[in-house]
Amino acid sequence: MIAYFSNLATLVAIFGILAVTLNFMVGYAGIFSVAHAVFFGLGAYAGAQIALTVAPDPLLACAVAALIAGVLSLCLALPALRVRGEYFVAASLGLQMVALTLFSEVKSLTGGIGGLTNIPRPQVFGVEVSVLPLALLALGLLLWAIHAMANGSFGRTLKAIRDAESAAEALGKPVAVAKALAVAFACAGAGVAGALFALHMSFVNVESFTLEQSVLVMAMMIVGGTGTLFGPLVGAVLLLSLPSALSFLTFIPPTEVGSVQQIIYGLAMTLLMVFRPAGLLGDQTKGKSQA
Amino acid sequence: MLFVQLLLGGVQNGALYALTAAGFALIFGATKVFHVAHGSAFTLAGYVFLYGWTQAWNPVLASLAAVTVAVAFGVGMERLVYRPIQRHEGSFFTVFVAAFGVSIVVQNLVGVVAGRGFASIDTPLSNASEVLPELFLADVFWVAIVVALVMFVALTLFLSRTNAGVALRALAQNPDLLRAYGLSSSRLSMLAFALGSALVAPAAILTAMTTGLNEAVGNHVMLLSMASTIVGGVGSLRGAALAGLLLGVAESVVLVFLETQWASAASFLVLFGFILFRPSGMFGAAVAR
Repeated sequence: MIAYFSNLATLVAIFGILAVTLNFMVGYAGIFSVAHAVFFGLGAYAGAQIALTVAPDPLLACAVAALIAGVLSLCLALPALRVRGEYFVAASLGLQMVALTLFSEVKSLTGGIGGLTNIPRPQVFGVEVSVLPLALLALGLLLWAIHAMANGSFGRTLKAIRDAESAAEALGKPVAVAKALAVAFACAGAGVAGALFALHMSFVNVESFTLEQSVLVMAMMIVGGTGTLFGPLVGAVLLLSLPSALSFLTFIPPTEVGSVQQIIYGLAMTLLMVFRPAGLLGDQTKGKSQA
Repeated sequence: MLFVQLLLGGVQNGALYALTAAGFALIFGATKVFHVAHGSAFTLAGYVFLYGWTQAWNPVLASLAAVTVAVAFGVGMERLVYRPIQRHEGSFFTVFVAAFGVSIVVQNLVGVVAGRGFASIDTPLSNASEVLPELFLADVFWVAIVVALVMFVALTLFLSRTNAGVALRALAQNPDLLRAYGLSSSRLSMLAFALGSALVAPAAILTAMTTGLNEAVGNHVMLLSMASTIVGGVGSLRGAALAGLLLGVAESVVLVFLETQWASAASFLVLFGFILFRPSGMFGAAVAR
């Protein structure tokens, strides 16, 4: 039972990182990416390769993962600078599909469909540690950083760009730099989550980095409340507890549990958007979504 | 000969993509709704036809049922999801998420009800015969091309010769002026959704006869329609249809050089390139920014 809860808590912390970083990009900067799982995947493969070939040092793995995801986030930043709205969503969908093919085909780095197996347990100074404290630490640091940035000049610049890009540019705000930095920060965060995920599961394959995963993270963010600090975290807790809650409902045949779960979160997304577009923790008084 | 074979296969798929893409472009152009659940209409229509076929209904009846379901789905989305969201000025992302939620629900419901995995129909139309040495063609190839052409001619005539069609084009250009002339933009939006969704039904039926359907087919259809609309240039039905055809051909011909897995990645690279270098598409006038 304790093992079960610590596993769930670790996953909540990892997906919490994904949801809060995606929220930084979507909620504060107004860059609607549906390719977050791509950077999660890049981080996971990078972290796994570090642990397998260099040393099972979680800090090194996270740093390399963040670096790779952050640098490759340029693939997302470029279209973000060119277009917005529907076009950017389409571009990020395209990126997601291309990356998925790359993940399953570049077998020397990713192990293809079979994935990378036997990733060693993480060790800090030669002592084996579990991923949970590391993930909680990373989540805490990221939340603190986002909070500090959101209230600082960088966050206000981003919000200005989100609400009126031309006006922000006219006031001399560095629009391109701010957008690229926001994307790089969020993607690097997703990379860290990926490295932790690889170390925690000690196995990664392409199944974890699909469009469905991107949408799941998006759903967490939206259910909790886009543009709020803790909303995405609440969403992560709710959506990750859903499978275990469903397992109590014995009348659902085990083969259909996955589908029922997907149907519930699909419905939740639609109904929330129709009736409560700001999410559970969002500011309802504004009458329109923060996003 | 392999090249010609792949080319013809690509034309067949492309004709079907062109139909779904034109439906998506019609809806997006007229109502500015990014109808991400467009693929779900395709899935539903295909599976309804499949059900009718296995129950040994008359194929005409089954096709009509498929069209009806697709239209009902499109109009239902407009009335129950998009309209309420737009009433409280939801942003495009709100619309996108809501529609994506619906497509997840449809995909999984179809999986639960009809079973997962590929399902296809064997008709006399889909038996390939050798028309030239080493070149195989099924009758369904001609059917797909004729159906696509007929639908386009009909759609073009409708949009240029009838009052409702002209009003739809006006809605795409200037909804405020349209309302000032006393036309109902909400009824025209419903018409756009009905027509756009009806266009996917023949494509879904023919896909069921050729490559087969699975519960996730809607995702692929949605992504391709979206890609075609953007590559073709938003607001241009002809552009979307042409881009759909081209993407179908590209997906197929690329197999000469690459393995199957790369086929869809190739078309999304094309989309990515267009968004980076020519966001207004092949025929679009307005730039996206």
